[in-house]
Amino acid sequence: MAGTLWNTCRNINNNINTSLLISLRQGHHLRGKPPGVAKSLETKLAKANFKDPAIYYKVDIGLPPSQISKSKLKEERLKVLKEQRKSPILEKLARERKLSINLEEVYEEWLKSTGPKDIKRIIEHYGIFEHLYGDAYFYSRVPLKVFYENNEGSSPVYFGNVIKPSEATQKPIVSYECDKNTLWALTLVNPDGHLTEQTSEYIHWFVGNIPENDITKGETLVEYLQPFPPKGTGYQRLIFVLYKQEKQIDFSSFKRDGLCLNLSDRTFSTYDFYKNLQDHITPASLVFYQSDWDKSLKDFYHNILNMKEPIFEYDFAPPYIKKQKWFPIREPFNLYMDKYRDPKQINKEFLLRKLQNVHPFKGSPPPIPFPNAVYFEGYVPSWLKLEIRKSRLKWGRINEIENQ
Amino acid sequence: MIKSTINNNFLLNKEVKRRFASTSINQLKNKVSPIFTNRNPRNLERLRIGYKPDGYHVEYPDKQFWHKLLLKSSGKYVTASVCHYQNGEILTASTSEWAIKKQLYRTIDTSSYVNLGRVLAQRCLQVGLIEISCFIKPNSPNDKVSLFLKAVEEGGVSLTEPPQYKPSRPWDIDRPEKPWEVTE
Repeated sequence: MAGTLWNTCRNINNNINTSLLISLRQGHHLRGKPPGVAKSLETKLAKANFKDPAIYYKVDIGLPPSQISKSKLKEERLKVLKEQRKSPILEKLARERKLSINLEEVYEEWLKSTGPKDIKRIIEHYGIFEHLYGDAYFYSRVPLKVFYENNEGSSPVYFGNVIKPSEATQKPIVSYECDKNTLWALTLVNPDGHLTEQTSEYIHWFVGNIPENDITKGETLVEYLQPFPPKGTGYQRLIFVLYKQEKQIDFSSFKRDGLCLNLSDRTFSTYDFYKNLQDHITPASLVFYQSDWDKSLKDFYHNILNMKEPIFEYDFAPPYIKKQKWFPIREPFNLYMDKYRDPKQINKEFLLRKLQNVHPFKGSPPPIPFPNAVYFEGYVPSWLKLEIRKSRLKWGRINEIENQ
Repeated sequence: MIKSTINNNFLLNKEVKRRFASTSINQLKNKVSPIFTNRNPRNLERLRIGYKPDGYHVEYPDKQFWHKLLLKSSGKYVTASVCHYQNGEILTASTSEWAIKKQLYRTIDTSSYVNLGRVLAQRCLQVGLIEISCFIKPNSPNDKVSLFLKAVEEGGVSLTEPPQYKPSRPWDIDRPEKPWEVTE
């Protein structure tokens, strides 16, 4: 029955107008070009963010790579590998899945072989070259080892690991391998922690004219100061850079007397520092760690920096609210109007309603065990019922005053 | 709804990024500006408030990550890497590297997968990555890939990333806990 009815209807429609049937299809028309042809967001962004390599190119300012014959290296490596393939002990361990390589040894070998390239990628990922040297970069050719000694043990510095301020109160132990009769300079800078200028750095430690690798014999220009990231600002990068000096340099313009607890005196710019001395110094190595707030800093701010501890909170974007209409059709009137009122006024109303039930000496009444089962006396409009229920269940705007 | 979230994300990325407003300032000796800027590009991701792409839930490969783990194997070598959603591959460990190859018997067998996992976990911890997303699904619980993933986890790297924290709007039903206010 239904089938025949449908057929007759279709016949009638066909007889009347065929184009009418096509126009009745809703929601099937493509807006713009089809997916294969139209540009995706990715291609559009790539075009918008494109930088011409002829203008925006990077410059290598580091030390040249060490001159080792590649064929000789390959020969040596092949020899080791061939011996390994013959070893029955290693074969048995690998077969029984018990082979466990020495991670320390891997790390040491990695620093000497493919390490510098990988480290450069990590440093770029953390945006360090961009913030310290602008359009320049360098490879860490001299493996630099830095670690903090503290009561809980030692905290080594790698390439972005987290070290808390309480672990870094004392100056770290620095070691590196170098040739005889060479001079070095070491800086520890923090590009994220400046309390007044947003694009400046603080210098936490500066030792210049270091003969070979003995830091203690170097000329301490700025005394060591521990990291002090304020509460709520997250993780700051603390960057050790080792420079190789061509000759003895007069750093007296960077000299700061005493502990230098006046932080504005510690304002530093690695870019300017390197720009002025680029003929005499070459960056040789870079290691860094990240540090965030911990409890020990309260004492540090009060007693050592002699200031009140600053506390910050992230400034989120305000929620998007569309333009108010004269006649908002199909919108709940109370919720719609609330969006355009002063939120402080709304919170005040909630607070006043709450305080009506609070006795000044006896305190607030006990919470309702079953908020949805409370009887509504007399006539209450449905929107108001909903509002009361929401307040009883602690849903929505009431949280703004409840959680304070 | 969609429009508003996109709007927020773009704001986070461009204008309001890395700005922190101060609630208490006192000037005794050192001045403190009311607006503090942390330029560390990884800071917001680590605080869980940085932008994290959403993608589509049926899309492959998955796009919801800050950092994700990748594993590729050629006929001779295995390569594991960590990929960032903007910067691409940022960290790699491969059995073709001399540092690892030097101590292995073969570069593609099970024990090389396990040792590669250990090395990758070590490098992740050294560069400050403690959580990375992993969309690799091993075929069986005892194959090479699952042993590799197990080795990464045993090395101290979590293979799941927390969701992005989005600020609650005044009309939202509840107020989720702020991750940076939770004391350890």
